[in-house]
Amino acid sequence: MTDSAMPAHKAPSPIANWRDYIIYIGFVAIFIIFAATLGERGFLDPNNLLNIIRQTAIIAVVSVAMTFVLGTAEIDLSVGAVAGLASVATAMGIDHFGILGGIVCGLGTGAIVGAINGWLTTGIGIPSFLTTLAMMGIARGVAMWISATAAIPILDKSYASVFGGGNLGPVPSLLIWMVAFGIVGHVVLRRTTFGRRVLATGGNETSARYSGVDTVSIKFRVLMLSSVAAAVAGMLYAGRLHSGRFQFGEGDELSVIAAAVLGGTSLFGGAGTVVGSIMGALMIGLINNGLVLMGLEFSQQLIARGAIIIIAVAISQTKKR
Amino acid sequence: MSSTPDAVHMINVSKHFGGVRALDGVSFTVEPGEVHALLGENGAGKSTILKILRGVQPPTSGTIEIGGVPLTIYSPEASRAAGVAMAFQEMSLVPTLTVAQNVFLTREIKAGGLIDDKAAIAETRKLFAAMGVAIDPTRKVADIPAGHKQLTEIIKATSQPCRVLVLDEPTTALSQTEVDRLFDYVRQLRGKGVAIVYVSHRMDEIFRIADRATILRDGKHIVTAPMSEFTLDSMIAHIIGRRSRGFSDVTRETATLGEALLETRDLSGEQKPRAVNITLHRGEVVGVAGLLGSGRSSLARLICGIQPIVSGEIRIKGKPVAIAKPRDAIEAGIALVPEDRARQGFVAFHSVESNIGLPSLDRLSKATWVDRAKAAALAENSIKRLRIKTDSRKATVKTLSGGNAQKVVIAKWLATEPDVLILDEPTAGIDIGSKSEIVTLIRDLAKSGKAILVLSSELQELLAACDRILVMSDGRIVRDIARHELDDPANPDSIDALQHAESKLNKAMQEARGGAVQ
Repeated sequence: MTDSAMPAHKAPSPIANWRDYIIYIGFVAIFIIFAATLGERGFLDPNNLLNIIRQTAIIAVVSVAMTFVLGTAEIDLSVGAVAGLASVATAMGIDHFGILGGIVCGLGTGAIVGAINGWLTTGIGIPSFLTTLAMMGIARGVAMWISATAAIPILDKSYASVFGGGNLGPVPSLLIWMVAFGIVGHVVLRRTTFGRRVLATGGNETSARYSGVDTVSIKFRVLMLSSVAAAVAGMLYAGRLHSGRFQFGEGDELSVIAAAVLGGTSLFGGAGTVVGSIMGALMIGLINNGLVLMGLEFSQQLIARGAIIIIAVAISQTKKR
Repeated sequence: MSSTPDAVHMINVSKHFGGVRALDGVSFTVEPGEVHALLGENGAGKSTILKILRGVQPPTSGTIEIGGVPLTIYSPEASRAAGVAMAFQEMSLVPTLTVAQNVFLTREIKAGGLIDDKAAIAETRKLFAAMGVAIDPTRKVADIPAGHKQLTEIIKATSQPCRVLVLDEPTTALSQTEVDRLFDYVRQLRGKGVAIVYVSHRMDEIFRIADRATILRDGKHIVTAPMSEFTLDSMIAHIIGRRSRGFSDVTRETATLGEALLETRDLSGEQKPRAVNITLHRGEVVGVAGLLGSGRSSLARLICGIQPIVSGEIRIKGKPVAIAKPRDAIEAGIALVPEDRARQGFVAFHSVESNIGLPSLDRLSKATWVDRAKAAALAENSIKRLRIKTDSRKATVKTLSGGNAQKVVIAKWLATEPDVLILDEPTAGIDIGSKSEIVTLIRDLAKSGKAILVLSSELQELLAACDRILVMSDGRIVRDIARHELDDPANPDSIDALQHAESKLNKAMQEARGGAVQ
């Protein structure tokens, strides 16, 4: 054992680990391409850019919570349906009890669904994939049933301005929601014992359990968190579109999971960043916007979007051999 | 020389892995109709021979003939076609299929192009009847006891005609009557001219079933002879050999014992251990020796809250504590460095720092906020104290060598400041230099006032590390031997002394098995 046998101390350099930053590189690259090719079609117009944020903020909010769920190597497919249900519950709550009652109804919906998802997954032991797949149907069905499939209007102006509809000066309130979720989520994942235990649970559940981590409670809590975040998303839809509708959030679960995975979160648990997930959501929004401005038909947009996501994930995954 | 060709005829076979010679010019012959025991320590080359026979690894040089036909292609299919059948120690059964489906996996009996489960069930029942055991072929493998799985494995291997049958530790999960049945069955096969290669650490069984034995050591052929020419002593002497490698640089001073830190009173698990009483004092290292299936690891898992305690109690510093989950054990001051590092010990793609901090997160944080300076200091101190070779505390554990990864696991548990440290196979899969470093570390930790329990299948390691060695068999502690009792006062030379101690301990373990068989 000579000194020369010791490996040299070197800090991991960002350049060597460029694939960890693929989401940022990709985001910038696509932004530049769109700016160059779609500049005269209004891509760089501040209104268009704010529109991208308005369209993706709700996905971003849920993707923050999804980062935690995927971090424990679980999944939540019910987020889109829960958003729809929460929008209906909020609208009905506002109608009956006023704005505060509406907020309680919305958040309560998320908490109840989350507790059921968490209990079925950790208490009964049904894989979260199945629990939340079933819950997706149940939540959507309940939303249709209690609203009689009709939109429930929200007439309260202050609710709409706080939840997604309004602006704070030039800043859309949706952007504030997204940033707030991002900061809180990032700090909780990186800097608290809960966040560390989430990643340890997903990274190697046996080892985490041997280390005294209560993996059951951690999984319960992330499923709870994800449903509550989905409920907030539903409330933002309700505020933005002045109504509660069972259709809100339809298909969002896939966009949310795609955003998180694009941002570097592993579907197998143990790795992920909140900032990455938000960037993933923004990238999907950016692509959608650019493809629309290019004048592609919806069918072509779907194909192009799928292809871009596959390329991005493929590049980020090649190192993991 | 008889006219029938040898069932297995290996001539001058070598296998190199990089610079390591796993097999070094070994010749090995098994005749049809004999039970041939293959003996040696872990790493002696037994499993390499088995892998070559099975076609999993080609030899680096040398030739192998099966029934007089040279093997030219090394693949499991080619070996099977040549007539080599193998019952796997690591269980090749699919738990979700039935016993019969497993026995006929990949060569299902068909009727009119469709799988005929009924025929498979009837056929399997016949096979078990030949062995004389009643195992229901329609049950799922996941639902049958471990001993039945082991027998199913053997039935699966012998369900098609074979020239050579390899049995690798076939009795670890079997009851005594099941062992008797298995041996009758093996003798039936032998009567039919099948050559049986029998690998086991259980000498009493070797003496019962084998006709001849071949002993390997350090990849070399040591001796082949009929069983009548061996005694237990001579066999152990051949297996151990005289060697200088090992733990000669570890110094073992006489331990100064403090109060009892950990006591178990009639501690029992679901199957094993059974009514175990042990006492660990401050400052001592106690070893647990036992063959595969003795209940060693279960004992550790029971004390650490990973497996449920069925009866008995655990006392820490004289006070009974309830341990139902790992957290309870950690809070009681017990830490386990588990057997399977990669699966139970660390998160491979997380950093050294986050792995070391994981069990101590509460101590490293204030009101859920992780104090990053504290976590970093803990990691840096651990790296320095245990001399962990890593690029930085931010490097992932998977970039570390086995020895350094093990140090990370030890560091993570030392950070919880335990009174009692339990290490299960602490040097498995680690190079010899790191091994003695870890054994030295164990000695130092005991000296600093901890009580340490080491579970190991490597006797040299136990002899180097421990002040006292408990011999476990069939879930019970059957012997408690002070380390100095194993020394030979007449022979002060360190290599001879170690060899002497090792044969004594080995013999104690074999006798313990005999004692457990009643």
